[in-house]
Amino acid sequence: MASGSERVVVIGVDDSSHSYHALETALDLFFTPFKSNPQFKLVVIHARLTATSVIGFAGPGTVDIIPLVEQDLDKTAELVKKKCTEVCSAKSVEITSLEAIEGDPRNIMVEAAERHHASVLVLGSHGYGAVKRVFLGSVSDYLAHHAHCSVMIVKKPKAKHASNDKH
Amino acid sequence: MAEDQATAAMETLAVEKQPETTVAEAPTVTITKRMMVAIDESDSSFYALQWVIDHFSNLLMTTEAAQAEGGLLTVVHVQSPSHHFAAFPAGPGGATAVYASSSMIESVKKAEQEASAALLSRALHMCRAKQIRTETMVLEGDAKDMICQAVEQMHVDLLVVGSRGLGKIRRAFIGSVSDYCAHHANCPILIVKPPKEIN
Repeated sequence: MASGSERVVVIGVDDSSHSYHALETALDLFFTPFKSNPQFKLVVIHARLTATSVIGFAGPGTVDIIPLVEQDLDKTAELVKKKCTEVCSAKSVEITSLEAIEGDPRNIMVEAAERHHASVLVLGSHGYGAVKRVFLGSVSDYLAHHAHCSVMIVKKPKAKHASNDKH
Repeated sequence: MAEDQATAAMETLAVEKQPETTVAEAPTVTITKRMMVAIDESDSSFYALQWVIDHFSNLLMTTEAAQAEGGLLTVVHVQSPSHHFAAFPAGPGGATAVYASSSMIESVKKAEQEASAALLSRALHMCRAKQIRTETMVLEGDAKDMICQAVEQMHVDLLVVGSRGLGKIRRAFIGSVSDYCAHHANCPILIVKPPKEIN
């Protein structure tokens, strides 16, 4: 394979167990089997939400809590970066680029995929939805349709017992 | 392992599961990786197959190193259930019920089987060219259900689908089967998009 070193895997992570599970799955599929002969480069993108998108409603006193939310988001971003670095070094995988970008996750991922000329975009899927059956989270669904490169969606395996929890 | 290479390639239906090796080395590395690619007549599904062959060859080839990883590629084709033609009124004066003779049903079935076989042999040809450990499977029924079922029963580690089904729709859409599988399959799914079209 001539262009082996040019293949880029871009993975989007937020601070959720689904994302870390997706990261590990991607590492197992794309990186650990090729240890002696790395075929791919890893780019990790954390889409850091904006404070305004997190604060749903605009009410009195919103202005005061924005800085606190921003601080919290920054902390989360640092935590995510640290955790990703840990997970990757535990599997001896080198991260080519680890970025935390602020904005809407959908656009960030599409843009990052273009920028890095990704061969494949990897995402975990929350499956937000108040039903038992797993639906794709809105970001993974969007990317499955709109990304220009191949998209890999990793869902967390369903629990074996039929739990009726709605989230 | 030499005889394994010969027999493991191109087995229809019967599969030799890679025996789990004792977990002495890194416990988190999955030993057996089964990838499933769903194909139909569309070009995009064959592009997906080629994508898998190109990107995962190290995992799937019939070489010692790859076999240690225990990769296996399953190519599956789902035949839509043969349409049993009921009465289609043909002649004048509708009382004439024309029902499909059994020979007609047989020939339709045969044609479908030949079409499947042609698709699978084309897929096998692609895999053999790169020495991929492959098995093929033909299922009958509703494509999306059969694929999801197969994923469950065979403990597939990665399902790969093309992005567009039959019909030249814009790249923004993914075919209904791919869409369904993305939502319902129990394993990670890889949706392969074709490269930018040269129109």
